[in-house]
Amino acid sequence: MNPLRVSATAAVEALDPLQAALLDFWAERQLPDQARYAFELALEEFVMNVVMHGQNAAATKTIWLELDDNPEQVCMVFEDDCAAFDPTSLDTPDTSLGVDERSIGGLGIHLVREMMDQVEYARADGRNRLTLIKRLANA
Amino acid sequence: MQLSLEEVAGVTIVLAAGRLDFAAAQPFQVQVEAAIAAAGKGVVVDLAPLEYVSSAGLRAFLVGAKAAKAKGVGFAVCNLRPEVQEVFDLTGFGKVVGVHAERTAAIAAVSGA
Repeated sequence: MNPLRVSATAAVEALDPLQAALLDFWAERQLPDQARYAFELALEEFVMNVVMHGQNAAATKTIWLELDDNPEQVCMVFEDDCAAFDPTSLDTPDTSLGVDERSIGGLGIHLVREMMDQVEYARADGRNRLTLIKRLANA
Repeated sequence: MQLSLEEVAGVTIVLAAGRLDFAAAQPFQVQVEAAIAAAGKGVVVDLAPLEYVSSAGLRAFLVGAKAAKAKGVGFAVCNLRPEVQEVFDLTGFGKVVGVHAERTAAIAAVSGA
């Protein structure tokens, strides 16, 4: 099957239709449920990142989502035309800290990196591009 | 997401169902803070029907844990599904909030806090 490609205006409202597209893609290709959480989480974290970091002209900015699968893996490519921002450059949060020292920053990208097998950032043609790959356990 | 509250021996149980995403995080946090403010011994959030939590949802647990500590009452979660448990494990949130397999253990821990 061909990859799924959808786009949306870079705003909080983009999350619902993009998430619906992800769930349809998963159901249509009968992909394993246990691998889906990582993609749902990545989608939310990156839409919210774009909305927070690319806020200035958000109404004129776009998010592109591409999903593709083969028997070994699922690949999600996430692009936006907001200001350059590399979430993989964020410091890894110290997950050993208790309640007093803990801050919330960086946990989203940390979770995505832990749950995916590959996370790559590139800036090209005025777009941020994140490529996420997760291998399927039963492949 | 849907929340329902009950009281067991001075401990407030918050049953959290559905998806704790960015949209649900703020109202959930408000409910948890209100429960802690009104709590006798403490608050247990039962996550048995919770399907999904993101980093926005984790923030609400961190805020709750800080509020409970400031007030000197207990705060714990229980009945995590494997996917939700994985999120807590990968972020070290077991050090932020007490994680228990069952509600009875969580109530006992909170009561002793």
